[in-house]
Amino acid sequence: MDRKIGVYICECGPNIAEKIDIDKVIKAVSPLDDVSIATRYKLLCSEQGKKFLEEQIKKNGLTHLVVAACSPRDHQHTFMTICENAGINPFLFQLANIREQCAWITENKEEATNKAIRLTKAAIGRVRYHVPLEKKEIESNPDVLVIGGGIAGMEASLHLASPQRKIYLVEKTSQLGGVVTNLEKTFPDMQSCPKIIQDKIDQVTNNDNIKVYTNCEVTEILGFFGNFEGTVTQNNNEDKTTVGFNVGAVVLATGCALFDPTDDPNYGYGKFDNVITALEFEKMNLAGNIRLKNGKTPKSVAIIHCVGRDKKGYCSEICCMYSIKFVRYLQNKIPEIKISNFYTDLCLPEKSYQKFYEQSRGKKNDFIRIDSIKITNPGNKLTITHNDEQGNKKSHGVDMVILSPALEPSVDTKKLAEFTRISQDDEGFFAEEHEKLGPVTTSTEGVYIAGCAQGPKSIQNTLIQAEAVAGKILSSLIPGKKIEPEVKVAHISESFCIGCKTCLTVCSYGVITFDSTKKVCVANEVICRGCGNCVAACPSGAASLKHFTFNQLRQELKEAVL
Amino acid sequence: MNNKNSNSDILVIGAGIAGIEASLMLSKSDRKVHLIEKNSYTGGMSIKFEEVFSNMECSTCMISPKQQDLLQDKNINLIMLATVEDVKGSPGDFKVKIHKKPRYVDMDNCIGCTACFDPCPVSIKNEFEEGLSTRKAIYIPCAGALPNVPCIDTNNCLRFQGKDCQACQDACMFNAIDFNQKDEKIELNVEAIIVATGYKLFDPNNTPHYGYKKINDVYTALEFERLYASNGPTQGKIQLKNGKTPKSGAIIHCIGRDKQGYCSSVCCMYSLKFNHYLKSKIPEIQIFELYTDLCIPGKSHQKFYEKIKQTGTTLIRATDIKITQQGQKIAITHTDEKGKKRNIIVDMVILSPAIVPNTDASQLANILGITCDDLGFYKEENQNISSVVTPKPGVFIVGCSQGPKNIQETVSQANAAVGKILSASQEGING
Repeated sequence: MDRKIGVYICECGPNIAEKIDIDKVIKAVSPLDDVSIATRYKLLCSEQGKKFLEEQIKKNGLTHLVVAACSPRDHQHTFMTICENAGINPFLFQLANIREQCAWITENKEEATNKAIRLTKAAIGRVRYHVPLEKKEIESNPDVLVIGGGIAGMEASLHLASPQRKIYLVEKTSQLGGVVTNLEKTFPDMQSCPKIIQDKIDQVTNNDNIKVYTNCEVTEILGFFGNFEGTVTQNNNEDKTTVGFNVGAVVLATGCALFDPTDDPNYGYGKFDNVITALEFEKMNLAGNIRLKNGKTPKSVAIIHCVGRDKKGYCSEICCMYSIKFVRYLQNKIPEIKISNFYTDLCLPEKSYQKFYEQSRGKKNDFIRIDSIKITNPGNKLTITHNDEQGNKKSHGVDMVILSPALEPSVDTKKLAEFTRISQDDEGFFAEEHEKLGPVTTSTEGVYIAGCAQGPKSIQNTLIQAEAVAGKILSSLIPGKKIEPEVKVAHISESFCIGCKTCLTVCSYGVITFDSTKKVCVANEVICRGCGNCVAACPSGAASLKHFTFNQLRQELKEAVL
Repeated sequence: MNNKNSNSDILVIGAGIAGIEASLMLSKSDRKVHLIEKNSYTGGMSIKFEEVFSNMECSTCMISPKQQDLLQDKNINLIMLATVEDVKGSPGDFKVKIHKKPRYVDMDNCIGCTACFDPCPVSIKNEFEEGLSTRKAIYIPCAGALPNVPCIDTNNCLRFQGKDCQACQDACMFNAIDFNQKDEKIELNVEAIIVATGYKLFDPNNTPHYGYKKINDVYTALEFERLYASNGPTQGKIQLKNGKTPKSGAIIHCIGRDKQGYCSSVCCMYSLKFNHYLKSKIPEIQIFELYTDLCIPGKSHQKFYEKIKQTGTTLIRATDIKITQQGQKIAITHTDEKGKKRNIIVDMVILSPAIVPNTDASQLANILGITCDDLGFYKEENQNISSVVTPKPGVFIVGCSQGPKNIQETVSQANAAVGKILSASQEGING
């Protein structure tokens, strides 16, 4: 079929009409090949303008449309909708921005007109080689695989499960609950952790739509948003029974680990009795048994903040607050105890935290700012040596030392990041899609992160992220509703590909795989986001991006710059 | 999917980043959203920032695609210049009364060409620019504001003060100026309400020892953001009131923390960001940061701090800060961490004030039937259940209206409130 391109130039009231010689533009583009009509209109985005365009397309039997007007940010969508209404594929359209890029940037009418001619010609040159792109729809599975049975995984599961949406909750250990099962109370409101966690466990186990797999690990994840296949392997039996399920989304809620204080000999951990970690102290406290190695009740305790912070290179956000919570535990259980907190900077970043700190201060409770610290064990007493703010060397003797270590990524992070084709950040946690706007989504669509697996955070913020993940899944993976993948996607030509795998290394979305039989790379168009990295990197011209093909770009550039 | 009755509509109050994020998600799940905004523009506070920590991404570039999506979204009914007047009923069936003030500019006809600005004879301080520049009585707050449609400020427009002026109407080629628009009362029926009304900054006039408003070139964080903004009053040129480039500057953290009784969580990071702002425009500038405790939670934040430290900035842990004019310069007396009295002299001071609840927070709380905590922020029912849930079923609180937080945490809460609403209404779920 012959091309019939319609070119419509918007006057945008006086905005374009007064700054650009529109008739000159019309004269310049009219003789171009395939241009069937070139004309002007006072305001194409007005209701009359939109009706006019739609009628013009139909009346003139146009096959392609070029509009020279404002920024695509303003009205690209408007004009593509008009194409659709008039019965031509919306991708057979191109917008030339002659307002923001010509009329509004110079007082020189001749220069503005010349540039407008180039941009309009470039749009015509390009649109001539546009091909229709069709929106695709694929079936999706609403079920969700949640990895990690701690508070984040359980909270997400409880918000997601319904008769239309089954949840597979996989926990590595023999029981649900995660790290919170070791705690007695939350900060700052000192609510009972066993109650909070038991309520959740009861709700999860009583929910018919949540299937719990304890003592299980995920061993494979294949597929893409709406259509993942997960494999789970039992880790406590010899024959390693495996189960597979199809799900639409995967939630990584694998929590975190604690920095190991033996990595820093200054703390004496593992060398001296009665130097314990925060988690060991929590367990001791939960058991109602705060005792020294010799069975006696401690008379003095030092709590050391920021253990491992220097090595990890980040503040773990919750250690100051849980250290202050320890003060409460101790004051409550051993009223006469003397407590010294050694800290660098107090990090109390929520509305109720400072009050909690102020209310925890007391006569038998010091907060001492230090810049370096060393724990030794001369005689039978632990001695803490440090520099105070004035730079003087001081030392304190105590019965017990509690170390508050940094939170660090759990051991499975790397493996799961590989399974789900997402990246880890510099600190080793799962990397979120966007620091500000995408805290629980990842570079792989359909893979979500919640809780300390994404970075150190409190129980409250963990719950929020788990609910946020639920929000993301519930709003995008709707039972019975099909998924519309991106249409402007990459394609790798089998005959041109030399199998060098360069594209594999530059794709952030795990779209490309290597077909080892044919020795070529293959792009999964369903999950491609159309970033074009593979196209730029491909040395043999095998990778191309729909709607941004070499020929389309060459024709556009030729008219724009030559 | 689309046979939802009107009671599945959601009301979102506040079109800042939290409200926008929640609305777009709800729309994606085929919900109709009524998004109420009291200003004439969307984007809230976040569009006032040029760059955001810690990756220094351009804030406007980050948020404007969301604002564009919002304006084009057919499921979202954006009602600007509007406030909530009354809420009755119960979850699943709230009856809401909205008061919408007229813009006096027709949203459909206006193309945002700004031809109406020049002829307007009125010139007043632009509050969006913290009073650092002027605007007309018909105006948009800054270049790039969305929607790109001006509004008439009736408190200052001559016509609305009884004078015979129609200069803007005469200048408009598109019949967009409509002096006859009237106040509207809108009644909505909604299933649930998300409150995302944001925050304001502590007013440093309440702490006179910092010299704010008494000494030239003592700025608040927001004033400095606009001074650095490429679409701001100086197009991003950092200059003193006398037009000169500052050779030295001090950034003071924790303004108002003592009075408010809490740490605002983001000030240390944005103060460190200001270092970057100053150094990027004036490489040779000497900078002092005066802080009490560095609060830089967040996995990527310390790295940012280390980078700033390497640029030669002097970080001082200081107390008893007092700021006075000293000739053409500014003197900052303080006690350092060794307990010594010190004095530094600079050209420019930037105050980083606490995040405080919006002026009308308690009034809206009364209307909604929720409460404020003793600091004035909206009170969650129980943090260990969910910080977005209020004691009033069906009413959710997100972002800084619940307490100070950064953009990431704000977005998480917006996502979480949507999670709560969609989860409760899944078929076969008791909620």
